[in-house]
Amino acid sequence: MFLATLLLAVPLGGYIAKVYGGQDVWTDVIFNPIERLFFKASRIDPVKEMNWKQHLVVLLTLNLIWFFWAMFCLLNQSWLPMNPDHNPNMTPDLAWNTAISFLVNCNLQQYSGETGVSYFSQVFGLMFLQFVSAGTGLAAAAVVFNALKDRTTDKLGNFYNYFLKSCTRILLPVCILVATIHLFEGTPMTFKGIDTMASLQGDTMHVSRGPVAAFVAIKHVGTNGGGFFGANSAHPFENPTYFSNIVQMIAQILLPFAMVFAFGFYCNKKRLAWVFWSVMTVGFLLLVVPAVITEVRGNPYIAHMGIAQPGGNMEGKEVRFGAVASAFWSIATTVISTGSVNAMHDSFMPVSGMDMLLGMMINSFYGGVGVGFLNFFIYVILAVFIGGLMVGRTPEFGGKKIEAREMKIAMIIALFHPFLILSGTAIASYLTAHDTNMGWWFADAAGKHNASGWLNNPSYHGFSEMLYQYTSSSANNGSGFEGLADNNPFWNISTGIVLLFSRFLPIIGPVAIAGLLAGKKFIPVSNGTLKTDTGTFGLLVFAVKVIIAALAFFPALALGPIAEWMKIH
Amino acid sequence: MKNAGKEGLFKKELVLEAVKQSFIKLNPKYQYRNPVMFTVEIGTVVMMFVCGWILSGEHSQGSFAYNLIIFLILLLTLLFANFAEALAEARGKAQAASLRKTREETPAKKIELVGEIFLNEVHIVPSSQLVKGDIFMCEAGDIIPTDGEIIDGIATIDESAITGESAPVIRESGGDKSSVTGGTKVLSDKIKVKVTTEPGESFLDKMIALVEGASRQKTPNEIALTILLAGFTLVFIIVCITLYPFALYAKTPIPISSYISLFVCLIPTTIGGLLSAIGISGMDRALRANVIAKSGKAVETAGDLDVLLLDKTGTITIGNRKATNFYQAPGSTLHELIHAAVLSSKSDTTPEGKSIVELGKKMLADNPLASDKFDKYQSEVTHQVNFTAETRSSGVNLSNGMKIRKGGE
Repeated sequence: MFLATLLLAVPLGGYIAKVYGGQDVWTDVIFNPIERLFFKASRIDPVKEMNWKQHLVVLLTLNLIWFFWAMFCLLNQSWLPMNPDHNPNMTPDLAWNTAISFLVNCNLQQYSGETGVSYFSQVFGLMFLQFVSAGTGLAAAAVVFNALKDRTTDKLGNFYNYFLKSCTRILLPVCILVATIHLFEGTPMTFKGIDTMASLQGDTMHVSRGPVAAFVAIKHVGTNGGGFFGANSAHPFENPTYFSNIVQMIAQILLPFAMVFAFGFYCNKKRLAWVFWSVMTVGFLLLVVPAVITEVRGNPYIAHMGIAQPGGNMEGKEVRFGAVASAFWSIATTVISTGSVNAMHDSFMPVSGMDMLLGMMINSFYGGVGVGFLNFFIYVILAVFIGGLMVGRTPEFGGKKIEAREMKIAMIIALFHPFLILSGTAIASYLTAHDTNMGWWFADAAGKHNASGWLNNPSYHGFSEMLYQYTSSSANNGSGFEGLADNNPFWNISTGIVLLFSRFLPIIGPVAIAGLLAGKKFIPVSNGTLKTDTGTFGLLVFAVKVIIAALAFFPALALGPIAEWMKIH
Repeated sequence: MKNAGKEGLFKKELVLEAVKQSFIKLNPKYQYRNPVMFTVEIGTVVMMFVCGWILSGEHSQGSFAYNLIIFLILLLTLLFANFAEALAEARGKAQAASLRKTREETPAKKIELVGEIFLNEVHIVPSSQLVKGDIFMCEAGDIIPTDGEIIDGIATIDESAITGESAPVIRESGGDKSSVTGGTKVLSDKIKVKVTTEPGESFLDKMIALVEGASRQKTPNEIALTILLAGFTLVFIIVCITLYPFALYAKTPIPISSYISLFVCLIPTTIGGLLSAIGISGMDRALRANVIAKSGKAVETAGDLDVLLLDKTGTITIGNRKATNFYQAPGSTLHELIHAAVLSSKSDTTPEGKSIVELGKKMLADNPLASDKFDKYQSEVTHQVNFTAETRSSGVNLSNGMKIRKGGE
């Protein structure tokens, strides 16, 4: 599966590079007339080049407009059309959280799709946001690609052009293919409401349906992760067979892989792209392998009870997938910040849990569409800086000197991720430890307001639940240890704030750095330049990432998954 | 600038001075400039309070000995960082000080115009006592004590100590090559020099001040690195602070000493402490290679250089215009031209004028008749018009009323 993705991704990367470079591709035939119509209607000139500041202004304005549209849909869905199951309006805090989380490509879902949203909201609100948030990420990455070419300029292409092309040329064709495959596998695609059937026991069961296939496609291709149903890809309708599981896996990883290769093709730095990809792969493998092994070994407590576990740790997992596929999926989904799940993450062993957390804390092994590359770029800047000073030269990347201003931006971005995760978790743990009465902020099913009610598991695993929730928000992942009761004002609002900061700052930062670098004078390669397309440099980048993540997060991990693991053994 | 020989790393005076400085630098106003070490200092102070707190009866923070050891370790870390910086500074200052000493203690042969017994007496005084306007004398083998202008005589001088030029240069009174610099050595002949600078403002003093002053400015890479270090420090402050509620939830109380120790281990203490010492020693290294860096940025740029192109006139070329031949206009003879040219250039002290005189004299030497006539002319000179930059002309007046001028008037 991994190799298949790689084989597909390299040519896709070339295709993406052609799209962004403005060259002709075979999809032009279909989409060019549509795009021209669209641009003419909105009177946007797709040829006018913008500098990096204008790009950011357009990006943020568009996102703001979409946010209001989504809020409108969600708050009014009870009377809007296409609501055959008569699902009610969302509560304001949940609507706020959901709108933000889909806007930022995270798709943290504190609601359950069958009962929480109508088909109208799903299709026109959430699916729409899934497309455009992925498109935003891709377009931002395209801006950075453009800036990293070897020349001095401040004209970096047109954002509207990049964005529309990302949606129509890249996302749409792949989604149509994936959705069609799913239709054949048995995913429902209908606008009718709940169906009823008689179960084996003779009761009548209500079965939710909906326009699932289309939703599933963009969910994975755009590394969104928000499932149509609450159980996400563990639901038999959303992920019917082992084959559809494979297709969804490939669909997820495809674009993040392809973006790295697109960078190589676009900037004519193919070797550098391979170095980047290898660093990411090494990190990914280091996380996947232990997770798969632990899941297959099973839960020591259950073994202690004398129950055989031939399938490994099957708690919370789907039988049609098994432990290996679920473990692989869980690590892949956290590494590329998709966040869809085909098993319940809360039931995984501590080592797998820790690997999932690490994947999100580093957040730049592959990463999400577009923004994964941007995060990786920040680490590259840091590594180049450290490496350059070690050899005694002024640090430079791609022929452009890196000076104090770029370092300031890179440090702020690198700082924000741990800050958001740790301070959020700190507030939550403090409240839980003191078991404070949360009042309006939290009320559990029994009506009590005490903070410790939101945990589903005691002690270390409970801590992991809280840590995971904030890490998932800050990494724009969206999966969760769903033992946590998170549909309440406290969690909705706090994770919403984290989501906002952690999406837009890591876009603004790298685009700013790339824009600043593009405007500098180009220094040609000389004998003393620190070569960035070598294995040594890849090792340096990997080391920088691991050290920063390990040092910043190790204390927190030590009190969560690691403590839990030690308790088990 | 030739420096005073390689000094051992731990010479006693330097070390003592550095030890004293490392305590003085504990002052927060000074530590504040280095964010990493400043946070370590805050940690040290907190540990001091914790120790005091334990002594007064607190039981939840561990034993007194444990906390005291941690406090001492932190204090030693701070002191060592300060020590490294102070030692680097002391070495830099020692270089400059030794340079200054050689200059100040050079003996000068001062000429007293009206002496105690004779006129134009020669007294030997240390060069630091010479003031502007004094006149001193230098002979072959002397070191010129301070900057001045030659008022009498011509000499070859070895200026390699200042300019690095290995070939000796000629300096003489009059013209534009009459100034001499303190610290250079006279190789031949004898000159009388008038001092032109106040003590402490000579060229040498300015260069020493440059070397000392430059080592304290922050270089661009240093600034960027400080930003990086400050960023890391900030991250780890957050990590350590948020550890407290985590521990609260996990019901494992962590004593303050553990927080501070974890914090000091996480932040880049080593780089933060040694960064300023690195900057200073960079300048020092350049000085040892006989390169005077005027700023820290220059040292960094030197590391980026691949090829250095130097263009220096005067080494292979003379760099001045020189007369090579006389071409008479139709209607006058060659010797008339030579006479006129030489006479009008006698009071022209520019290299151009001197070369005309030299060439003329050489050509006249072949022709005794012409040189006799020239001597007759020379004896009839009543008035010399010297060359000035404003008039751009020079010449002579002869007793028979003839005026000979050359130039741009």
